Amino acid sequence: MDFDFLSSTMVTLIKALPVTLALFALSVSIGCVLALLILWMRVGGNRYLSAFAKAYVFVFRGSPLLIQMFLVFYGLAQFSFIRNGPLWPLLREPFVCAVLSLALCTAGYSAEIFRGGLRSVPPREIEAARSIGMSGFLLVRRIIAPIALRYALPAYSTEVVLMMKSTSLASLVTVWEVTGVAQRLISHSYRTMEVFLCAAAIYLVLNFIVLQAMALLEYSLSRHLRAPRQRARPEA
Amino acid sequence: MSTLELLGFGSTGWGALLLAGAGITLAVTAAALAIGAVLGAIVAAAKLSGSVVARALGSAYTTVFRGIPELLIIYLIYFGGSSAVTAIGQAMGYEGFLGLPSFIAGALAVGIISGSYQAEVFRGAYLAVAKGELEAASAIGMNRALRFRRIIMPQVMRYALPGMGNVWQLSLKDSALISVTGLAELMRTSQVAAGSTRQYFLFFVVGGALYLVLTSLSDQVFDRAERRANRSMPSAMGQV
Amino acid sequence: MADTARLSVRDIRKSFGAHEVLRGISLEARDGDVISVLGASGSGKSTFLRCINLLEIADTGEIWVDGEQIRMAQKGGRNHPASQRQVDHIRSELGMVFQSFNLWSHMTILQNVIEGPVHVLKRPRAACVEEAHALLKKVGIADKADSYPAHLSGGQQQRAAIARALAMKPKVMLFDEPTSALDPELVGEVLRVMRALAEEGMTMLVVTHEMSFARNVSNRVIFMKEGQIESSGAPEAMFGAGASPAFRQFFGHFGG
Repeated sequence: MDFDFLSSTMVTLIKALPVTLALFALSVSIGCVLALLILWMRVGGNRYLSAFAKAYVFVFRGSPLLIQMFLVFYGLAQFSFIRNGPLWPLLREPFVCAVLSLALCTAGYSAEIFRGGLRSVPPREIEAARSIGMSGFLLVRRIIAPIALRYALPAYSTEVVLMMKSTSLASLVTVWEVTGVAQRLISHSYRTMEVFLCAAAIYLVLNFIVLQAMALLEYSLSRHLRAPRQRARPEA
Repeated sequence: MSTLELLGFGSTGWGALLLAGAGITLAVTAAALAIGAVLGAIVAAAKLSGSVVARALGSAYTTVFRGIPELLIIYLIYFGGSSAVTAIGQAMGYEGFLGLPSFIAGALAVGIISGSYQAEVFRGAYLAVAKGELEAASAIGMNRALRFRRIIMPQVMRYALPGMGNVWQLSLKDSALISVTGLAELMRTSQVAAGSTRQYFLFFVVGGALYLVLTSLSDQVFDRAERRANRSMPSAMGQV
Repeated sequence: MADTARLSVRDIRKSFGAHEVLRGISLEARDGDVISVLGASGSGKSTFLRCINLLEIADTGEIWVDGEQIRMAQKGGRNHPASQRQVDHIRSELGMVFQSFNLWSHMTILQNVIEGPVHVLKRPRAACVEEAHALLKKVGIADKADSYPAHLSGGQQQRAAIARALAMKPKVMLFDEPTSALDPELVGEVLRVMRALAEEGMTMLVVTHEMSFARNVSNRVIFMKEGQIESSGAPEAMFGAGASPAFRQFFGHFGG
C-alpha cells in the first residue's frame, strides 16, 4: 500500500466533495418540492393533470437517469429558442443541467413514494378528523400529511441514498464531482484499486451520514409506536 | 435528412442499430441478473447463517455494493479488470494492452450490484416462509435436503418474484451506465447516433422511448408471472 | 414393558433458560390407547408433545417408539439426537397434527397428502395418489383434492392435515390442540374424524381443551400442572369420584 499515493488521492477527491454535496442537496430539495407538485396533480381530481402526472412518473421511472441527463445537457442546447432564451446562461452550465436532471428524476420516484404513504393513511383516522369538522388544507396539514410522511419515510430514505449515488452521473456531463475526479485519476495513474478504495470510502461515509440522519428523523416521528417511558412513581 | 430516414432501416438509418442496441441491453442485463442470482443466493445464505463471521461478511457485501455509485464499480471492474488481464497477458509473453471485453465487464459489474439487492430479496423471501410449514415437513420425517427442495425453494421463488421484478428493472436501467466501456448497447448507440448526426434531442428521446418499451414489457411479464405464482393464495372469491 | 408399548416416554425434563417447563414426565401408550393430555396454558403439554417427535429436544429422558429408542448424545454440553437419519425415520412413524394446520400453502390438498409418502417413504406415486383420495374421502373432503389450502375453511384444512399425517401410516398420532384455532361450529367435524380414528384402534396422544373428547373418546386422561403429571387415570375416574382437587378445579372452569 502506497500511503503517499493514497493520501494525495484522498486529498484530491475530497476537494471535489463540495460539488457532490451541492448536487445532492439541491437536487433532493428541488426534487422533493417537484414531487409534491406531481402528487398534488395526481390526486387532485383533475383528469388531465392526473394523466400528466401518471405519464411523468412512468417516463422518469421507466428510463435510465443517464439518458435523461444527456437529453437535458445535449438536447436542450439544440433548440434555438432555448439558446436565445433568458434562461440560457443558467441552462448552458453543466452543473445546472445535472441538478435539473437529477431533480426531475427523483421527483418521479418520490411522487410515487409519497403517494404510497398517502394510501397508507387509515381512512378511519381521516373520518374521525372530518367528524369534528376538519377539512381542506387544515385536514391535510394536521392529519393526512404527518401520517403519510411516517409511512413514506422508510422508502424515501432509500431514495435519498440513491440520490447521493446518482450525483456520480454528473461526471458524464463534465461536472467535476468525486466520481469524475476519480475516473480522471484512474486514467492518469492506472492505479484503479487504490483510487477506487478512496472514492468508495468517501461515498460509504456520506451514505452512512445520510442513513443516520434519516433514522433519526424516523425515530423522532415514531414516538407513538414505542412503549411509554417508565415512570418513577407508581400509577395512581 | 428527414426524421423518418434517420430512424429508418436504410443505409443512413439508425433504426436497425438502435434495435440491436436494445438487444444487447437485454442480453447484458440478463447475464448480470444471472451472475447476481448466484452471488445473491450465497450472500443471503451467509446473512441467514448462524456464523457471526458469515453474517458480517454478508452485511458488508450488501452495504458496500448498495452504497457505492454504480459508475465507480463499473470503472473498477472495467479498468481494474483490464489491468489484470493485461498483467496476465504479459506474464504469458504478450506485450501491450489487453482489454477486458466490455460485455463481460459490464455484466460482472451490474451483476455484483444486483447481487446485493437480490440477497435482500432472497433473505426476505426465506423469512416469509411460514415456520409452521417447515415444522410440518420435519414432523413428517423430511430431512434437510428434502425440506429445502420441496418446501423452501418453491416458496422462496414465489415470495421473491415481486422483488426480482424490481431488481430486473433496476439492472435494466443500470445497464445504461455500461455505455462508458464502449459496449454498443442502447445508451451508447443512441449517444453515437446523436453525436454523429447532431440530432441529440431526437436520438435521446427515441433511446429513452425504447427503454420505456423495455421496462413496460418487463412489467407485464413479471405481473403475469406473479399472478400465476399467486394462484395458490387466497382470493376474494374462495374465502369461506 | 417397553417392548410391548407403542410409545414409551421416561422422565422427560426440559428447561427454557431458567424456566423449567417439564419436570420429569413419564408415560406409556399401548396399542390402541387414546390418551388426552389436559392442563392449563403454561403447564407444558405442548412442549411435552413436541419433545416426542423431537421438534423440541428434551434435556434428559428416554423416548421409545415401538421398541426403538431414540439415541441421544451430548454435544457441547447439550442433549442432541445421535443420528439425524434415525430422527427422520422415527418422525415418519409418528403423525403430528398441529394447532395451526401447517398445510404447505404452495401445494394442493392432494399434493400435501402425497408429499410424505412419495418423497420420504419413496413409495410409487400412483399408489400414493389412490390412497390419498381414499383418505380425503374418509375425512370428508374428497372434493377438495385439487384446491389450495387457502381456499378451505379451518375445519377442512385441519381434516386435510389429519389425512396428510395418516398417509404416512403412523404408529402413533400426536395431536397438538387440534381444534383450538377453529371457530366453534367447525370443531365438531374435526372431533368426529378423530373419534372415528380412535374407534379404528389408532394409538393417539391428544393435547386438547375439548372436555367432551377427553371424557367420551379417550381411554386415559392425563392432567398436567406446572410441568408434571398431577393426576391420571380412566376418564370415568378422573371426571368422577376419583378426581383430584386440582383437576376438579381445572375442569370446573369448562362447565364440567
